[in-house]
Amino acid sequence: DFEASFIRLIDKVTNGSRIEINQTGTTLYYQPGLLYGGSLEHDCSPSRGIGYYLESLLCLAPFMKHPLKIVLRGVTNDQVDPSVDVLKATALPLLKKFGIDGESLEIKINRRGMPPKGGGEILFTCPVRKVLQPVQFTDPGKIKRIRGTAYSVRVSPQMANRMVESARGILNKFLPDIYIYTDHMKGVSSGKSPGFGMCLTAETINGTILSAELASNPQGQGAAVLPEELGQNCAKLLLEEVYRGGCVDSTNQSLALLLMTLGQRDVSKVLLGPLSPYTIEFLRHLRSFFQIMFKIETKTAEEEHTGGEKVLMTCVGIGFCNLSKTIR
Amino acid sequence: MEEKEKKKHRAKHSGPKAEKKRKRYLNDLGIGDEENARKRNPKAFTVQSAVRMARTFHRTQDLKTKKHHIPVVDRTPLEPPPVVVVVVGPPKVGKSTVIKCLIKNFTRQKLVEIRGPVTIVSGKKRRLTIIECGCDINTMIDLAKVADLVLMLIDASFGFEMETFEFLNICQVHGFPKIMGVLTHLDTFKNNKQLKKTKKKLKHRFWTEVYPGAKLFYLSGMVHGEYQKQEIHNLGRFISVMKFRPLTWQTSHPYVLADRMEELTNPEDVRINPKCDRKISLYGYLRGAHLKNKSQIHMPGVGDFTVSDVSFLPDPCALPEQQKKRSLNEKEKLVYAPLSGVGGIVYDKDAVYIDLGGSHAHEKEEEEVRPNQELVQSLISTHSTIDVKMASSKVSLFMDSTPLGSEDVGQEFVMPKEERQVDLKTGRVRRKAVFEDDEKENDDAASDEEDDQEEGDEEEAVSEDGSDGDDENDAEEESERVLIREGMAVRRAKRLKTEVAQEEAVNELPAFADSDDDLEMSSEEEGETAPEDSEMEEDEEEEEEEGDIQRTCEDESSGSESEAANKRAESKQYDMDSERTETKSQISEHSPKRKAVLTTDSGNCTAEEASESEDENSSLEEGEELEEEESHEELEAEESNRNGFQHSQAKKADSVGQTKIKTVDTEDDDVENLLREEEEYEEKIDLSADTTGALKWKEDLTQKAAEAFLRQQRSTPNLRKLVYGKAVEDEDQESEDADDELGGLFRVSRPDKASKQKANALDCSKFLVEKLKDWDLEEVMSSIRDCFVTGKWEDDKDAAKLLEEDEELYGDFEDLETGVVHKGKAAAGGEQSGSEEEEEEDEKTSKLEPEEEEKKKERMDKKRKLKEMFDAEYDEGDATYFDDLKEEMHKQAQLNRAEFEDQDDETRVQYEGFRPGMYVRIEIENVPCEFVLNFDPHYPIILGGLGNSEGNVGYVQLRLKKHRWYKKILKTRDPLILSLGWRRFQTIPMFYMEDHNGRHRLLKYTPQHMHCGAAFWGPITPQGTGFLAVQSVSGTTPDFRIAATGVVLDLDKSITIVKKLKLTGFPFKIFKNTCFIKGMFNSQLEVAKFEGAAIRSVSGIRGQIKKALRAPVGAFRATFEDKLLMSDIVFVRTWYPVSIPTFYNPVTSLLKPAGEKDSWSGMKTTGQLRYERGIKLKQNKDSLYKPIVREKRHFNKLHIPKALQKALPFKNKPKNLEKKGKTPKDQWRPAVIREPHEKKISALLSALSTVNNYKIKKAKAKHREQLKEYLKVKQKEDEQKFKRQKEAKKKVYRILGQREKKRQKSSLKGSSKGEKSM
Repeated sequence: DFEASFIRLIDKVTNGSRIEINQTGTTLYYQPGLLYGGSLEHDCSPSRGIGYYLESLLCLAPFMKHPLKIVLRGVTNDQVDPSVDVLKATALPLLKKFGIDGESLEIKINRRGMPPKGGGEILFTCPVRKVLQPVQFTDPGKIKRIRGTAYSVRVSPQMANRMVESARGILNKFLPDIYIYTDHMKGVSSGKSPGFGMCLTAETINGTILSAELASNPQGQGAAVLPEELGQNCAKLLLEEVYRGGCVDSTNQSLALLLMTLGQRDVSKVLLGPLSPYTIEFLRHLRSFFQIMFKIETKTAEEEHTGGEKVLMTCVGIGFCNLSKTIR
Repeated sequence: MEEKEKKKHRAKHSGPKAEKKRKRYLNDLGIGDEENARKRNPKAFTVQSAVRMARTFHRTQDLKTKKHHIPVVDRTPLEPPPVVVVVVGPPKVGKSTVIKCLIKNFTRQKLVEIRGPVTIVSGKKRRLTIIECGCDINTMIDLAKVADLVLMLIDASFGFEMETFEFLNICQVHGFPKIMGVLTHLDTFKNNKQLKKTKKKLKHRFWTEVYPGAKLFYLSGMVHGEYQKQEIHNLGRFISVMKFRPLTWQTSHPYVLADRMEELTNPEDVRINPKCDRKISLYGYLRGAHLKNKSQIHMPGVGDFTVSDVSFLPDPCALPEQQKKRSLNEKEKLVYAPLSGVGGIVYDKDAVYIDLGGSHAHEKEEEEVRPNQELVQSLISTHSTIDVKMASSKVSLFMDSTPLGSEDVGQEFVMPKEERQVDLKTGRVRRKAVFEDDEKENDDAASDEEDDQEEGDEEEAVSEDGSDGDDENDAEEESERVLIREGMAVRRAKRLKTEVAQEEAVNELPAFADSDDDLEMSSEEEGETAPEDSEMEEDEEEEEEEGDIQRTCEDESSGSESEAANKRAESKQYDMDSERTETKSQISEHSPKRKAVLTTDSGNCTAEEASESEDENSSLEEGEELEEEESHEELEAEESNRNGFQHSQAKKADSVGQTKIKTVDTEDDDVENLLREEEEYEEKIDLSADTTGALKWKEDLTQKAAEAFLRQQRSTPNLRKLVYGKAVEDEDQESEDADDELGGLFRVSRPDKASKQKANALDCSKFLVEKLKDWDLEEVMSSIRDCFVTGKWEDDKDAAKLLEEDEELYGDFEDLETGVVHKGKAAAGGEQSGSEEEEEEDEKTSKLEPEEEEKKKERMDKKRKLKEMFDAEYDEGDATYFDDLKEEMHKQAQLNRAEFEDQDDETRVQYEGFRPGMYVRIEIENVPCEFVLNFDPHYPIILGGLGNSEGNVGYVQLRLKKHRWYKKILKTRDPLILSLGWRRFQTIPMFYMEDHNGRHRLLKYTPQHMHCGAAFWGPITPQGTGFLAVQSVSGTTPDFRIAATGVVLDLDKSITIVKKLKLTGFPFKIFKNTCFIKGMFNSQLEVAKFEGAAIRSVSGIRGQIKKALRAPVGAFRATFEDKLLMSDIVFVRTWYPVSIPTFYNPVTSLLKPAGEKDSWSGMKTTGQLRYERGIKLKQNKDSLYKPIVREKRHFNKLHIPKALQKALPFKNKPKNLEKKGKTPKDQWRPAVIREPHEKKISALLSALSTVNNYKIKKAKAKHREQLKEYLKVKQKEDEQKFKRQKEAKKKVYRILGQREKKRQKSSLKGSSKGEKSM
């Protein structure tokens, strides 16, 4: 279901790609076309969050022919996929590091939609670039502030405040500079299903952003969750993420690695926390597709109290340049 | 006479004296130098016009920035590939003579015939690949793309030829390499003046073409068929110091100018089908960018291929080793040109070249033989694959062999770092503490081993000499390459020879053993980790002990290790060869001996103190040795009593078994053995612990270190294996590994089967936390405490400390801006920490006078700070954006170089691909047989690497301009041969113009002198790539061949070129401004589609389509701004999309038979076909021009209605212009008839009046005369009068003036004087 929706999305952003699915739906033939971009709209299947679609769009958007401006409709926050809030807070600053910046790079949440029915809407715009810059991103720095959003749709607005309170209780032991926004959507912009949740981001002095998020159980599935509990758990998740550390959030590891691979023929380095299974699989794909192998070194922090072991990933870019961009 | 003797004085006009004089003169005048002028006349130097000032400023800035190039990251490797020198020129200009002379100049060798590229060492840091370029346009295009330097030979006696200009234009399109002109045939000029004139003329023309000031060489005369030595020498020096700017295309694509080609096709296949596709291998230096295995390449003139295998070979024409000498040895002046027949020959004076062909030929044969033999053969084959194709793809390599994971091989190369670190830590302690233990240990525990070792030792001692001799003999017999390799080593230093052989022997074993090692390690670990944690520690200890032994082993070998490391690759190849050619028994003989050597060594040298430098030993060797130890122990466990020879065979068998075993993963026996040994070790440790009671704390340390070591070892290689290993490993093995291998941190990340399935089910990037740490606990919380700004900072960044330091240093700076202060702090940070450390060190070393030292230091620091501040303030102003950019690029370049520098080639290749500068062998499959059959070394073979998706085809849009020297214009839909990227291909372009509204309107022909767009179906090439077009590549024409040039603008999968289509219709009913029109459309539907479209009549009346009519099908109602005539034609302008023919035909000129390679012809144009077949074009009669006949038009009179006439004012009333009718007869006046008398009277009267008239006339003339005279007189009088008056006035004024003067004087000087003067 969501895969079909994804394929349809891919078809929308490309030009000249051929997609054939056999009758039983077990094989997929895909002949890639050129990334076209432009302003588009897409209704994502509510079985997966928008994050699922947005992640792949984040990889593709810088290499379109025309700047991408897409409206995605579906589930903005769920328990499975990285939510739009997290991607907005972490992936966009990461893209900026690679030279994809400008005011047109943004994700705007017009409506929030919670599972199971969705009804959220976001606007994602991204400029195009010809080449990416290599990055040397080995020092995460110290965390200077923690920000976050606690959202609630079609439930009492008090929920958000309760979450914030409990999360602050935990985080305040580490850092005073905490501000968690409460975001209560009403009316049309609140989607079709009730729910609440929160996402937290920790920003370091070097601009690294780590994040964690949690969302309530969808309506009619699982037991009800107390907002206090959720807030606490989310805060702990953030601490866990901090423990893992690295210069890139664990959800964005693969994005960072991909952009490094697609950079110019220069050495790029990035310090990551422990590799997630997804990233490992992604690395294998990178090797089979781009013939590129990362140099992987583990780094143990010299001092204690700075979290777990880190992995230093080094690679030489393949010298990819955006073949679809028009020059005048 | 005397006067004559006197020389007339001649003033100096030049020279210092004159200069001085002039200066003085000018100074006198007050217009000396500029400085003076500025002072003297400041107004002339002020700003007169701000606008103008701004303009001049802009202009100077423009000129300045024009000189800048966009900084690019310098990606040239440390050892760059040879510079490609292309020698171009029309035929008979002396190209090959120049090449021969150059080669002779550099190498003192004379090549008789030059075919293909010749690589020579021209200096300590430079090599040249010289290649000749014929005047075939294909060759010219291909070579222009790879050239670094072009030697453009010009026949001075003839002048420039078309080829020269064509080549220059090709170069311009494909990035402009350095171009140096060489004038030859200068001796044909008899007249010196003529010569000079020609030189000058040619030079200036050359300059306009290349750039003003481009170097032009003159080769004056020939001596014995060669150019003059001095001139060639100069030319060579110019070439070898030349600097090159990187060209975009070349630096972004890997390419190889092949200097050798070999066919690897199975002869049987060829026998069966002589036209079958071939498999070839090509050799050459890799240039440009990194090449990755399995990437796509294009061979200009042949086609697109996928690289089936790449491997790098030792440099056949290597740069000399680094040395202090100024010039090259005779020996180091290498030349390598296999196509010219130089490469295959071994020169007898010394080992000059190495031809690797033999070995690969062997390989070929071996591969065929392989299937027949069994076990050992397969083993051998695995060896060879590891050695030769280390870098190449794993899957294909290990297809037939056991899953000898290439990642294992790779892993070893990564490991060293990690291990090294630990060694450093542990090593120190150990060496002090365990020194005794070691001996004891060895005495106690290794006693069993010792027996064996001793035996082995003796064996070895006996057989060593023999084996060495054998080695040598074998080597010489085995293959050419080996012979040469050996020879090089041997002849230079014969004494070293035996050692080298030994080393090689030492290294041989590891070549196949190392992979086992890993496996065993892992199995060991499995065994260890699975049971209990308590055992773990013991294991660690045990491992550590093993490490000790290893270290001792290393110690021995450390002496010769550096050499060994250098020759590792060689030895590997040597192994390969030897293994191939030798029989099985021979191998088995060799390996045990070596083994014996090793083990004995280790036994002997345990007592030796391990030096620090060992730590640098590659882990590989450690691993090897460890492995050997283990295997040895295994042996021991199995059969304790055996002599070395038997050992060897057993060992052999064992190793074979191991390779077999890998599929099964672990053999029970091995595990058992290992376990047993572990136990033994434990016991030993206990013993040692007892004996070294005093040193227990140290042991603790070692334990800790060992833990760290283990952890590290587990994490890194496993991580790597984890990420990349899976592809090769079997599934079950992997899963097994997963459970056990990953202790500690990385357990989560390992996808075991269940989690994998989960991953399959849910493709999600989120990294789920499986078990949350209890963040309420204090310890857990403290583990990340320092990640926050509130935590502890490193010394160099601690704000409080910094502040303190700053206070000390910058206490007196108070009035600085805050920004400046901040900067100062930041800068101080780094410095401070350094100084602090220094201080600390100082304290340690000299505690006697710390205060003074400190004070002195502080003062120094202060001074330095001040200076830095000053520098920062005053130098930063100069840093421009450009400089910053440059600096950034430079940093990146440095990083690029440094990152993988310390790794050996095999590993590097895995990470970054084959780097430029390597001599590579590229295997390609499915090459058309014509390429091999019609191979002609005179034509260059280029392997151009393609970027991602550059192998695809799509629509390409270009900006194109017909070349100004090409005589015809180009027609849309005529096939054209383009050279774009690496490729040359024929395609059908469509020309278009972009209108103002962005519409692409099709053109029938290219504009004469303007750019236009072009679109064609062809290979995707990055935007901004230049291209050139030719009509045909066959034969030669006197005309300029390059038809058009341009640049790629856009790539797409669809295209939007339209052409204009006018639909016409005719009115069939006309109302006032509305009319019905038919004949334009065929159905109501069509009309509906065009409703609202603008239409126009031929006469220019505009209108709009309104609605379809029912009656005649396709008719519609339309309104116009005026009334139409029935004779009018109405049309609507529409745009019809044009489809581009998907025709893409690579020029396969290299497949043509020899001698016809320049006669490739593809699709012909319709014009050519018509011409060839004599078909005349049938013309549409309507299109022919006819004389225009215009009818005279008659216009009716303007009719004004009477009512209107009445209303008009008189002025505008139509006048009654009609002629009066004839007066009626009654109104005619009668004629007068005179009487004679009356006639007389009238005659008289007329006579009188005539007289009177005359008189009056006369009087008038007289009067006029008088008046004239009078005026004359009058004038004279007036003049006189005026004169007089003037005179009088003068007098008066003079008097007045004098009076005035006097008065002034008096007033100035005072009254008394004034009175006096008065």
